[in-house]
Amino acid sequence: MKPFRQPSVLPGFGLTFGFTTFFLSAVVLLPLAALVLQTASMDWDHFVRVIFHPRAIGSYRLSFGASALAATINLVFGFIIAWTLVRYEFPGRKIIDALIDMPFALPTAVSGIALTTVFAQNGWIGQYLEAWGIKVAYTWIGVTVALTLIGMPFMVRTVQPALQEVQRELEDAAETLGANKLYVLRRIIFPTVLPAMLTGFTLAFARAVGEYGSVIFIAGNLPMKTEITPLLIVIRLEEFDYKGAAALGFVMLVISFVVLLTINLLQAWGRRRLVASSR
Amino acid sequence: MAGGTRSATSEDLATRPGRDTVLSIAVRWTLITISLVFLAALLLAPLATVFTAALEKGFQAYLDSFTDPDTRSAIVLTLKTAAIVVPLNTLFGLTASWCVAKFEFRGKSFLITLIDLPLAVSPVISGLVYVLLFGLQGWFGVWLQDHDISIIFALPGIILATMFVTFPYVARELIPLMQQLGNDEEEAALTLGAGGWITFFRVTLPKVRWGLVYGVILCNARAMGEFGAVSVVSGHVRGLTNTMPLHIEILYQEYSFVGAFAVASLLTLLAVITLIIKTLVERTGYKRR
Amino acid sequence: MSITLDQVTKRYQGAPVVNDVSIDIGDGEFFVLLGPSGSGKSTLLRAIAGLTGVDHGRIALHGRDVTHVSPRDRGVGLVFQNYALFRHMTVAENIEFALRVRRVKAGARKKRREELLRLVALEGMDQRLPAQLSGGQQQRVAVARALAHQPEVLLLDEPFGALDAKIREELRRTIRQVQRELRISTVLVTHDQEEAFALADRIGVMNLGRLLEMGKPDDLYARPATRFVATFLGAANLLLAKQTARGVMFGEASVANRTSEPPANSREQEVVAVLRPEEVELAPSRTSLGESYMTDGIVEEILFSGALERMRVRLANGVAAMNVVRAENGAENGAYLEVTRTQHEHRMFPLTPGQSVAIGIRRLHVLPTPLSSFTVCAPTEASAQALSRHPLLIELASRMKTRVGLRVEAAIGIETEPRDGTTAFAGAAVIAPDGYTIKRVEWLLGQGAEEVLVLPPQTNPPHRVLIHWVDEGARRATLAVSASFLRHVSAEAIYIGILPNTAPDAQRPQGMRALLDARSEAQAVHGLEMRTELRFGDVAGELIRQLAETPEQMLILGISDILVLAEQFHSLFDVLPARPILVVYQAPDAPSRE
Repeated sequence: MKPFRQPSVLPGFGLTFGFTTFFLSAVVLLPLAALVLQTASMDWDHFVRVIFHPRAIGSYRLSFGASALAATINLVFGFIIAWTLVRYEFPGRKIIDALIDMPFALPTAVSGIALTTVFAQNGWIGQYLEAWGIKVAYTWIGVTVALTLIGMPFMVRTVQPALQEVQRELEDAAETLGANKLYVLRRIIFPTVLPAMLTGFTLAFARAVGEYGSVIFIAGNLPMKTEITPLLIVIRLEEFDYKGAAALGFVMLVISFVVLLTINLLQAWGRRRLVASSR
Repeated sequence: MAGGTRSATSEDLATRPGRDTVLSIAVRWTLITISLVFLAALLLAPLATVFTAALEKGFQAYLDSFTDPDTRSAIVLTLKTAAIVVPLNTLFGLTASWCVAKFEFRGKSFLITLIDLPLAVSPVISGLVYVLLFGLQGWFGVWLQDHDISIIFALPGIILATMFVTFPYVARELIPLMQQLGNDEEEAALTLGAGGWITFFRVTLPKVRWGLVYGVILCNARAMGEFGAVSVVSGHVRGLTNTMPLHIEILYQEYSFVGAFAVASLLTLLAVITLIIKTLVERTGYKRR
Repeated sequence: MSITLDQVTKRYQGAPVVNDVSIDIGDGEFFVLLGPSGSGKSTLLRAIAGLTGVDHGRIALHGRDVTHVSPRDRGVGLVFQNYALFRHMTVAENIEFALRVRRVKAGARKKRREELLRLVALEGMDQRLPAQLSGGQQQRVAVARALAHQPEVLLLDEPFGALDAKIREELRRTIRQVQRELRISTVLVTHDQEEAFALADRIGVMNLGRLLEMGKPDDLYARPATRFVATFLGAANLLLAKQTARGVMFGEASVANRTSEPPANSREQEVVAVLRPEEVELAPSRTSLGESYMTDGIVEEILFSGALERMRVRLANGVAAMNVVRAENGAENGAYLEVTRTQHEHRMFPLTPGQSVAIGIRRLHVLPTPLSSFTVCAPTEASAQALSRHPLLIELASRMKTRVGLRVEAAIGIETEPRDGTTAFAGAAVIAPDGYTIKRVEWLLGQGAEEVLVLPPQTNPPHRVLIHWVDEGARRATLAVSASFLRHVSAEAIYIGILPNTAPDAQRPQGMRALLDARSEAQAVHGLEMRTELRFGDVAGELIRQLAETPEQMLILGISDILVLAEQFHSLFDVLPARPILVVYQAPDAPSRE
């Protein structure tokens, strides 16, 4: 029977392990358990009614739909940005590179109100789009724009190292063998960065689904039209419908876990491929 | 969040003679333009807007917005929250990383996954779980009311929710770093007669200082800027349970744009400083895994 | 005694990484633990330092038992292979660390630091950071740091591994000097035998977790007791030969005893002899060599190597069978000798490839090991081939650097009378168990085999070897064979003494004493460290019970009467087929082996 831990000469296991598990339980596990148990204590009919309520379904459509769309947009533009940063020199590259992390560091409320202002009817960008009849603020388009912003660093920062990994010698070898640049892109570069792109997509998607602060300002929050699921949860709480909120929260939690699992699997797959192919 | 790129590009360009065909130059600049336009619209414009909107009515009006007592208490509350949450999570991060990096035990990777959990969860959920625990209809709701203790809609709730959300930041930086740096120096310290505490403070801590700084500033940025989770547990009571992000929401919704953006500008400056420190730390050679 | 290790054992996942090691190191002695990677020497060093616990045994420093004492309180100084300098502290702070921990005042610390810097020839480097130093300088700082608190014992874990040759030599000199000046007991771990020779007062050679031999460098080089040590300490030709009254014989040729020791007995037996390349004499003809003549040969390859000339000489056809085979491919090849000559010899008698020469032996050393080779015996060619590919057998043969021969005997065990003209066996016989196991073993022993290894298919190398002899007559032989066997297998050795259940309590202390005697004889005479256990009951039953515990076990059974196998050990061979059993036979009238 394997022992719980390998004996070690360094001190402090008892203290650190105890403190770590205590803290972890108190701050993370206990609250999450409360959520799960509250949901479990609901009877099945009620649960089903809540999560399949038309308003809830409307919010799923928006939350997941816009997140998927935003992540897809990031797939394209994120790749382009990563490519540009890795391969090209231009003035201000270093500053732009550092700024990629801005959505990470910026509070969501700030980006929320800033985006709304920019894309509002009389905003800097909004006014031009208005001229073409495109309304961004207070529509699902605005939601998508906000989710694109917050997902962007995930995509770029995941694809960048993968692009850097692509060995230039491979491209050179391909070209001496007669391949043109497009072929090289398709057959040599894409396969290497594909796992990273998928991981980035999943990360951006996961973050977008749960996003609150950046979105509620620009969304308009009309039920069934521009209401995201997290907002619905907040509304249920304000109505003191704890169980309803818990049920919706449980659904979101389950989705988070599934996504987390997918990310881990993708990363494992990516590691295997990378090791096998390039060395 | 990974670090910036190496600049191998200019070296590459120099060693590839005859590559600069017209087509490739055109492609290159098109891509650069696309990237810059995308980033300008999505990133730079909002950043700039924060400051232009804050200063719309002039610099004096900007400064005046900070004299509002509610704004002040929001700032104070945010600082208080950060001052409690960041040290606690740092303490946790140090403890957890020592536990994980120096010892082998069963269930270790499970523990690490659990530590990463809050990152995968929506901020609203992070607040929701505390309402379910301590809210009026929550598990401990009645007990708390009987004892006249308020957690939800008060500072403790805000602290708990913020702690949940920022929980993994320091640990995530330190664990891989400590694992990578190994145990040799600590073992050497042991043979030289040092005990656990001395070894930790004089050998381990200096070894990981840049990872620690990195984790702390990220933790702090998130702690001060958290919106969703705090919004759920706060009571939105002006002057009492509003942090800066919540206060921004209130001001914005009552059309006090200058005020809203003024507070937003503070947080934006914080974000910029965080990024600067982050870049400086990366210059020291600290590499994120 | 400065450092005493007593039966130190450390296991990892069941297998012993350090296996029953006992050493006594004197005051001020420079002891080198030498061995290949994975031999357990680094683990042993860390155990002395206290960074690894031990599963069995005792460690004492200057008479104080420190087995359960934490590394902080042991008073050792450890120099790591990768230096392990505190990277963010200056050289001065690194060296003073141990003193700061002990709250020595700044003035005294400075003094000691300067003393140490002078000792390791690094004056003036106080304020440098480790990253600003070269590898050799970092290592010196590591040494100084380890000595700051005046430890009683200095331990070095392959300290020069990561440095290049010239720096290594310099550092060796420095270490030797430091050690002599401070007169501190030192243990250094290395895999480089040149380093061991240069530094050691005594060397302990380890392999597979066991301490094989200990001694002064020149003793170990000239008179190794085991194959492994012979080949590890320098190039060696290992030859299979017959030890006879007339001396050591290679095929038909006999070398009139150019050995270091006279033979232990007059009986013929197969032995392994060590012939160092520099002890081979080459001459134009047999007459010039006289008594030292061994055989003829043809020069195959010549390599100029600075001060020496290295050659490969193929032995004449008639004596091709005598060379020990490199068992990588299992086939018999390589009937050649490695020869080294000085430039002087080269000038006296220049040689070119293809030339015939007469080969003589200046000095030969016979290894006192009884297990010389293996012969697989099976009824059909196919089964013989299959058995010769058994992983344990292949491992043994390759580690022992010996050959596995094949013999197809269709009627093993069926005939009780040995046929005339059947060649006698040499070395150990190997068979696979089946319904006739005991009969086959009896037959083989009757044919002259001294050991029979019953090897079931699908067995893993054992982690534990049980040793038992049925009567005292077989004791010596069993121990000798066990010692030889256990040098090449990473397993623990346990002698099981069995008293009948009906034995009165008075016999118990006698039984215990017999155990202790067995243990000390194993250690003193055969160089084997083994554990002992006393059991009560029926011999075969107890052995079966013990063997049934885990699959990775093996039994070495010594007998002096063949009949006892069928009488007492029927159940052992029939009931328990899945454990290897090595039967060692000491005929009562034959002189003892080894």
